[in-house]
Amino acid sequence: MSALLEVENLSLTVPTGHVIQGRKPVLNNVSFKIMKGKATAYLGPNGAGKTSTFRILCGLARKDNGSILFDGQPVHRCLPAKNLGFMPEQPYFYKNLTPYELLCGLGRLSGIHEKELPSRINTWAVKLDFNHILHQPMSACSKGQVQRVGIAQALIHQPDFILLDEPLSGLDPLGRELVRNVLRESVNYGATLLFSSHILADAESICDQVIVLNHGVVAFEGGMEDLTVSDKKWHITFEGELTPDIDIKYEQLRENQYRITVADLRDRDHAIQCILASSKATLLTIEPEKQTLEDAFIKLLAKDTSL
Amino acid sequence: MRSVMSIAHLTFSEALRNKIMYAVLAFLILMLLAASVLASVTMGRTELMILDLGLGGISILANLMAIVITIQSLQQEKESRTLYVLLTRLSSRWQYIVGKFLGLAMVLGGLVLLMCALLTVLVYLFGSVYPLSLLEACLSTLLETWLVIAVAMLFAQTSSLFLAILLTLCVDIAGRFTTVIYQFGQQSDASSLRILTEIMYYALPNLEAVNLRNSAGYISSYASDLLVHVFTYGFIEIAFLLILAAYIFEKRNLS
Repeated sequence: MSALLEVENLSLTVPTGHVIQGRKPVLNNVSFKIMKGKATAYLGPNGAGKTSTFRILCGLARKDNGSILFDGQPVHRCLPAKNLGFMPEQPYFYKNLTPYELLCGLGRLSGIHEKELPSRINTWAVKLDFNHILHQPMSACSKGQVQRVGIAQALIHQPDFILLDEPLSGLDPLGRELVRNVLRESVNYGATLLFSSHILADAESICDQVIVLNHGVVAFEGGMEDLTVSDKKWHITFEGELTPDIDIKYEQLRENQYRITVADLRDRDHAIQCILASSKATLLTIEPEKQTLEDAFIKLLAKDTSL
Repeated sequence: MRSVMSIAHLTFSEALRNKIMYAVLAFLILMLLAASVLASVTMGRTELMILDLGLGGISILANLMAIVITIQSLQQEKESRTLYVLLTRLSSRWQYIVGKFLGLAMVLGGLVLLMCALLTVLVYLFGSVYPLSLLEACLSTLLETWLVIAVAMLFAQTSSLFLAILLTLCVDIAGRFTTVIYQFGQQSDASSLRILTEIMYYALPNLEAVNLRNSAGYISSYASDLLVHVFTYGFIEIAFLLILAAYIFEKRNLS
């Protein structure tokens, strides 16, 4: 699978102070790759540089250093408008316009044909469940409803690359589920998704890839399982009985089914051999312990900070 | 061009529902009615007095509205992050500047023409004036409003909401007196003052140069070469201000 977006050594500093201007680094040689057709979570604590990266990708800020390749082509200012669907963090748009008028305007800007606009808007309004507020002013919409409109505007032109800054914030559990489904569906149709979120359970359920940023530096880049699956703890389940002379600790899960938990690979192999050596026991599963993304994220940042 | 027109359309739709505009419009209608009452109880040709007061009032209020609505619209777009969504859909930032200008020019231009139409009706209720010079005065007021929108767009790129309003207001006032400022400098012995007033004369948009209100209604029509001069100057100045605003906007990092 090829990379749709390749970011290399991206650096950004921002001015500090009022009278005497200094510069503070926000991004420090950030490099990562976003694979085509994959969903990637861009995570990090507050102030890690997530929004700054998005600002550079969208051409809202200029990088100090580094290179960006989109589909193999160098990006000088911003990603190609036709291919990009972007939603900034907590937008609230024009308060006097209705979602329908806003989506019409932004749809036109994205090159959607005038005749196609009503059906596209209605489709997305139904998908994201805001069709009942389509013709009321944005000022009368709730935060969650505006967020849904924001997601719709980013997806309405069916972009190849979807860039969302905190798309799930301000949504109720039903809304979050709806957005997760819509995003998964877009990725299934071939779009590439990169989004930042502080709701890690949602990131875990949507994404295949994770990039963790800490203090403007990439702390982790890889598959979701690479981060959440530990090779330090293993669970082995079996049914039946072990030979009496085998001295190994196990716990009963249900009738005639047991679990052995081991702390390293050598113990794991030993436990497997013991089960296989017992004529009355049948090996059922061997699974590494999986931690939640949130646990893995906290551990990673704690380790990263202590270094 | 489709991108520019889409921005213009969005701006137009949003600005059209701005409550400030309707408040000012209501105030102006009241002012015109008050002017007609005042003019009817004074000596002289009532219709010409209403015309003078009305055109002056329209110019001042339209410019104030242009300043507030333009800067407020640009700042709100940035604060609401709509600007970011718009910019990711454009191939260049100048499209945004031109689109915004066209949208605001349509809304405020429409408002100026509506106010001028109301004034014309009011004037003709009291008597008759030369219609062509009245039309020319109305169009020059429209041009002046567009010029102020362009100035406001430039300052909105460089400063905060309050400062941008203040600076545009200063330019609007000073722009009406550039010739006076220049003449004042020329009469001075201090060379530094002469240089300063000369710089101000050439740097500030000359709103007096696009003013055709003074003889409106009194003469049948303004000379054609004056009209060409007024409208050419106005459009060149607008183009210059927009290019400058687009250049500054292009260089800016948006946070």
